Amino acid sequence: MIDDLCDGPCSEEIAIAMFYCDFRDQREQTTTNIMGTILKQLVVRGQVLEDVQKAFQKAKNEVGGRGLRLPDMMQMLRQAVATLPRVFICIDALDECFPKHLLELLTSLKHILQGSRGARIFFTGRPQVQAEIEKRFTSSVIVPISPKTHDIKRFLEKKLEMDTDSDAMSDTLRADILRIIPQRISGMCVAESLVLISFTILH
Amino acid sequence: MDNTAYRHPISIGDGNVYCNNVTNSHNNTVNNIIADENPEMMKWLSPLDTRGRHHDVRTDRVDGVGNWLLETNEFREWRSNGGGADKAVLFCSGNPGVGKTYLR
Repeated sequence: MIDDLCDGPCSEEIAIAMFYCDFRDQREQTTTNIMGTILKQLVVRGQVLEDVQKAFQKAKNEVGGRGLRLPDMMQMLRQAVATLPRVFICIDALDECFPKHLLELLTSLKHILQGSRGARIFFTGRPQVQAEIEKRFTSSVIVPISPKTHDIKRFLEKKLEMDTDSDAMSDTLRADILRIIPQRISGMCVAESLVLISFTILH
Repeated sequence: MDNTAYRHPISIGDGNVYCNNVTNSHNNTVNNIIADENPEMMKWLSPLDTRGRHHDVRTDRVDGVGNWLLETNEFREWRSNGGGADKAVLFCSGNPGVGKTYLR
């Protein structure tokens, strides 16, 4: 999806920033750090670069070199987003965010949208974060994701191609895998399906 | 793939940095060069970096899987600004492992 946005028309006019939330990095993934990572990706040229460079020099000159606080970060980020004609912010796995950070993150992103007409936000996450999103972004568009038969088949074909243990495979088994697994899988998660695939291959 | 970023690896950030080019888009290549030239400033902005993770996702994903999303009206409207400021947020909701990260 991110690559598709990048490859789209007029890519020079479009700025894209992404972030992958990860429960293993919850402590480091504070709202300030996440916003900073987004800003880092928007620092491409012109005004945005100049503004951030100025702020950095100023902070460096202060005694001890001051670390960034969320309000400072938000001010810079809002300014950057307002300067850019089109900005896509993509955040993956919102549910992996520390709960306290999640609420702060959503509220901060809401403020960014309020200051810009060209900003777009894309989230992915488990259904349980939907309520918090809808609370802050009342007209957000929700797309439920479930594995599509076509996707599963394609995924399986690729994995079978890469199978290192090719002696264990036969045309019949391959045909059975490609026929039976996509039928049974709808609604099941991919991780479970991988277990099912290994099971099918081993037995 | 533009290899600029491989020639100028960036050593900022946490453990998920792999110093790879993100995409072939102009902006990201420029962004990598700016990151190379201002490592201290980038670290000041945030110790985190998503480029390594994005590279892994791009490498692992299977071409064509998840393309259906790009054809939906919801995605097209969101992308094109068609819905105006109201429809600025798109949320893809799904259970663990359904492939949200790898959507194309």
